[in-house]
Amino acid sequence: MGARAGTQGVSAMLCRMEDLAEGSARGVEVAGWRAKVILVRKGGQVYGWRDLCPHYAGGTPMAWKRDAYLNGAGTHIACSAHGAWFEIDTGVCVQGACLGKRLTRVPLRIDEAGGVHLDRPPREERP
Amino acid sequence: MNIIGPDLLVFGVDDVPACHEFLTAYGLTPRDYSPENGGFYDSLDGTGLEIRRRNDPSLPPALKTGSMLRLTVLGVTDQAALRDVAAELRKDRQVLHLADGTLRCQDDQGFELAFQVTIRKPIALEGEKVNAPYHPARPVNALGVTQDMPAHPRTLSHLVLFVPDIETAVNFYCNRLGFRHTDTLGGAGPFLRPQANPDHHTHFFIRTPPYMQGIEHLAFHLGGPTELMLAGSRMMEKGYESFWGPGRHKFGSNWFWYFKSPLACNVEFDADMDTHDDTWAPREAPMGPEAANAFLFQYRAKWAPGPGPKG
Repeated sequence: MGARAGTQGVSAMLCRMEDLAEGSARGVEVAGWRAKVILVRKGGQVYGWRDLCPHYAGGTPMAWKRDAYLNGAGTHIACSAHGAWFEIDTGVCVQGACLGKRLTRVPLRIDEAGGVHLDRPPREERP
Repeated sequence: MNIIGPDLLVFGVDDVPACHEFLTAYGLTPRDYSPENGGFYDSLDGTGLEIRRRNDPSLPPALKTGSMLRLTVLGVTDQAALRDVAAELRKDRQVLHLADGTLRCQDDQGFELAFQVTIRKPIALEGEKVNAPYHPARPVNALGVTQDMPAHPRTLSHLVLFVPDIETAVNFYCNRLGFRHTDTLGGAGPFLRPQANPDHHTHFFIRTPPYMQGIEHLAFHLGGPTELMLAGSRMMEKGYESFWGPGRHKFGSNWFWYFKSPLACNVEFDADMDTHDDTWAPREAPMGPEAANAFLFQYRAKWAPGPGPKG
């Protein structure tokens, strides 16, 4: 809660690996971005996606509760507005409202100390 | 056909404890709940939701789309109304008479339906009263709001379905079950109300591709806009996520606040919906932000102007 990455420099840190348990997800705010970044740790990898379900133009946030981004079995990212499921590693919607569309990937970089960063500095967005 | 509206919506879900947490926070009262088997979630008049695991053998078959809605139970006024429904639907489909007295069948698009003599129990709680100049509605010294006032869903109001074929849906509900058409959002679909319920709508349909068929949202009525604002604010304070609102719709005039849910559909707080009778002439407007909202706001945490700079 309250996690927020800054806009200063390339190494805006989103979270630490130790704070992201295997099989879990969390949403992190990035200053200047209108939607959070979803971080999902699965199979030792960390995946980053914009918290924007592509069902409606412009996208809408997906969790039903803070950080509640995964379906019941933890196998997919789920949009809790209308039940679309997205593959965690590809972002492709495989069931529901936006079948065939995909989430927007957020490239990540993990440093030697386990810090998870945006791979490039965030650009300001219109709200 | 004396149908009143939805008494119960039954879901088969992936995460029963998550639904329990959400629906309890939403203000429904759990009954016969266990994390393994789910349970019932009652509003004040006895209408509500039933939550089971997706693979619960007691549930009717699921839609192929992944929608978690498994059964819609519609309440009718009395046994005569139930007989009317059975006689009409037996003309072209199997209608089962279950041991609990309910009828069971499918609509024309594969949604599972049941009919029963309604379980709604009228509630004594009055609606919100507003003091207007020269026309006070509250007794003197009666408060309009207190921070801890109850704001519980009072009755199951309506459901909105994604359907591949609007004409088929309207034909079934209007021509077979006698629903009335109140208004239409062009490009989305029609609002319908059953004959024995004056509410602007108990059903609304949105045209979608077949792979989306399922429930879009469900809503319970609250006692008024203040209850709605309090209930939604309490959800926000606990970390639940708003989808749309608070605001007020144009068609139906109902205040709204939608929350995403682990039922894989939005769950709405609703208050102060218009009522209609058969003299009403349906309106039509193109679906979009202008037609859908009289006004729309976004939640923010409590704030107040301070005392100003010191000195």
